[in-house]
Amino acid sequence: MESATLPIEHGHHGEPHGPPDANESSRIDKQTLGILLFIVSEVMLFGAFFASYFFLRVVVDPAAWPPHPYELPVPVAGVNTAILVSSSFTVHYALESIRCGNRQGMKLGLLLTWILGATFLFIQINEYAHLGFSARDLSFGSIFYSLTGLHGAHVFVGLMLLSFATIRAFRGHFGPDAKDHLGVEVPGIYWHFVDVMWIIVYVSVYIL
Amino acid sequence: MLAAIKRPGWTRGALGALAGAAFGFGLVISLRAISGLPLYQTEQTGYPHVVVPLILAPLGFLAGFGCFDYWLRWAAGAPTIPDDHSQHGARSWKDYFRFNTDHKVIGIQYICTTFFFFFVGGLMAMLIRAELAQPGTQIVDAATYNSLFSTHAVLMIFVFVIPVFAGIANYVLPLMIGAPDMAFPRLNALSFWMLPLAGILFVGSFLAPGGAFDAGWTGYAPLSTGAPLGQSFFNLGVQFAGASSIATALNFLVTIITMRAPGMTFWRMPLLVWANLSTSLLVVAATPFIAGAQFMVLFDRLLHTNLFQFASGGDVISYQHIFWFYSHPAVYIMMLPGFGIISEVISTHARKPIFGYRLMALALIGIVVLSYSVWAHHMFVAGMFSWLRVPMMLTTLLIAVPTGIKIFSWLGTLYFGKIHTYSTSMLFALAFIVTFTIGGISGVMLGMVPIDIHVSDTYFIVAHIHFVLFGGSVFTIFAGIYHWFPKMTGRMYDEKLGRVHFWGTLIGTWGTFIPMHWIGMDGMPRRVEDYASQFGNWNLMISCFAFMLGAIQLVFLYNMIVSWRFGPKAPANPWRANSIEWQVSSPPPIFNFDEIPRVVGGPYEYGVPGARHAIMAGEGADVPAAEPSVVGSA
Repeated sequence: MESATLPIEHGHHGEPHGPPDANESSRIDKQTLGILLFIVSEVMLFGAFFASYFFLRVVVDPAAWPPHPYELPVPVAGVNTAILVSSSFTVHYALESIRCGNRQGMKLGLLLTWILGATFLFIQINEYAHLGFSARDLSFGSIFYSLTGLHGAHVFVGLMLLSFATIRAFRGHFGPDAKDHLGVEVPGIYWHFVDVMWIIVYVSVYIL
Repeated sequence: MLAAIKRPGWTRGALGALAGAAFGFGLVISLRAISGLPLYQTEQTGYPHVVVPLILAPLGFLAGFGCFDYWLRWAAGAPTIPDDHSQHGARSWKDYFRFNTDHKVIGIQYICTTFFFFFVGGLMAMLIRAELAQPGTQIVDAATYNSLFSTHAVLMIFVFVIPVFAGIANYVLPLMIGAPDMAFPRLNALSFWMLPLAGILFVGSFLAPGGAFDAGWTGYAPLSTGAPLGQSFFNLGVQFAGASSIATALNFLVTIITMRAPGMTFWRMPLLVWANLSTSLLVVAATPFIAGAQFMVLFDRLLHTNLFQFASGGDVISYQHIFWFYSHPAVYIMMLPGFGIISEVISTHARKPIFGYRLMALALIGIVVLSYSVWAHHMFVAGMFSWLRVPMMLTTLLIAVPTGIKIFSWLGTLYFGKIHTYSTSMLFALAFIVTFTIGGISGVMLGMVPIDIHVSDTYFIVAHIHFVLFGGSVFTIFAGIYHWFPKMTGRMYDEKLGRVHFWGTLIGTWGTFIPMHWIGMDGMPRRVEDYASQFGNWNLMISCFAFMLGAIQLVFLYNMIVSWRFGPKAPANPWRANSIEWQVSSPPPIFNFDEIPRVVGGPYEYGVPGARHAIMAGEGADVPAAEPSVVGSA
């Protein structure tokens, strides 16, 4: 997956023995297509856990969901959802800025995105600490922690990718040409996926 | 010494593995100490101080071996150094044991590693057959037997059949589409190096207390959630093998979509490329499901969650649904690349264009789509929703249609062809058609709910699966290895030994697996080391054929090794094939091409006067330039 964020070099001109440049048989570039396919496979990983979730909730059909003494902090998670969703806008702002050559805007956007993402994770860990049930409490606890934890792991990975982009942005990389800011665009696509996935998790686990 | 530690390679890899293991061990122990728990948890499903190091040691090895060096530099924001191609291509045999980004090197690495595990898994099969030669328990006890058949299946599926196809395609596919390498060469190398780690985890589970995993390759919950430590080795090995196969599939898809030579439209791609395109679609979208299923089992085992614990509201059947949602597409992951190989071999050695080329490609896509809708036919007796049975039966029967299209198209290709039966690859291809058809028909039988209920968990299932996987997939693998051996090694193999290997394998396969249909119909259960004495004679005969089948593989091994070293030099195009990989030298130049070839026609125009598939650099000024290809671009 990381490789999808990287410019892969082909053929160095002037070198007598390098490989020839590959023909570009599609308008989409390798990195973007790579991350999109990776997201397809991530969606299916979530699909496996959602399948489990709906089996435990709909097929097993327990008397109450969440089971009786347990409650989910819907408003807190709602605020957290708003935080994560707003980070999608900041990362888009970073991308649009570097497209216009606005380096300061890109740095600001990336940094804000990173902080919002980290806040989301922090609040979620805090929520775990105060929920009052653990992953060992009934299948409800197990699948709740599995699904939200799986998503949390993806936020973490997304944050790592954003850190790489932020470090590079502050060290003077990236430029307005489409090929020169793939390192911002590709983690951005992944970050949007993490956001959208959270909305689905939030709706199915907290609201439905 | 210090230099060896700094340089990516085996020394740093070993240190990385040690560091990873030590870190994982320390992490578990110190966390348990802080929480006031006993330091070592040795219930049979627990052992966190073993399982966590098992995750981190392979990652440490990969990091030390140099799989992440370039990316870490990139992530840290260091300026990119121009690639000096020092990690590309093999100049001596030692380069095959390094982190290498050349798709040709990686292809060979894949093929050799997977064949190593093929022979390990084969030895296990020999032990299984030795035990089953007579009723009663003679050689291994019941627990070891369970471990043996589970490990045999897992090695053959996850570290032989699935990745060996990735290996063959890795070598051939970029050449076929006129690309200088894969789209992501470093990811490609990483995918390969995860594979032996998976294999080591599977085999290493024999060292675990309680023995190797013994819940079958399916690892059904709750059998797996309560099994001894070895089961965790399986859960983790599947993650590494799965990650490797997802990354490779992603790489194939991007390569095929973005790096085809000018003029190579989708309808001019060789069918092997089509086959790998469809397989990769399956892998990318289905493999995460087995990753999910194994994560859940691991959670239940290690963290004591209740996903599959009925008493706490868990659902046992959900494991089977999630597992088969991957594992049914997986049988096509193990078959479609073989279909591609057979198309190449048959067209080339029958000297005829593929009959119904477009329908062949569309049939592949049809199989991809349908294969997602048949998973529950593995669960007719599992106690799942009864309303799901008939729809699954219908889709199962439906999926035989695109497969039948392929069989008849191969027959149409052979019809009035000039069939080269002296070539071992063609022999395997012809035998494949017959054997696979039989396996396919028993598959259609199994799709019928009543028959399936009658023969569930009998040797009929074993017969079916080996007819399609051994008589199907493995025959195509042999066909592919013989077909491209001259291209990969630059040497010719010995056709006489090849024919010995072929006839031995064919007779061994039929002798071993045909009688299993009958004893299965009569009710001999699978996965048991002892059986009713009425099946004794059949089993003795099966075992004899199985030993012959195993022994004859040594002829193959001898042929490959000796021919690679001493065989006569191979010409660039010994089979007079059209596709691009045969237009470059054998073995191909280190960067495949000086200039990307231009594609001007279909790949199978055998016997068509003046037809060309591709024009290589420096030739054919008289041939009209190909129109630039944008077909299929996104």
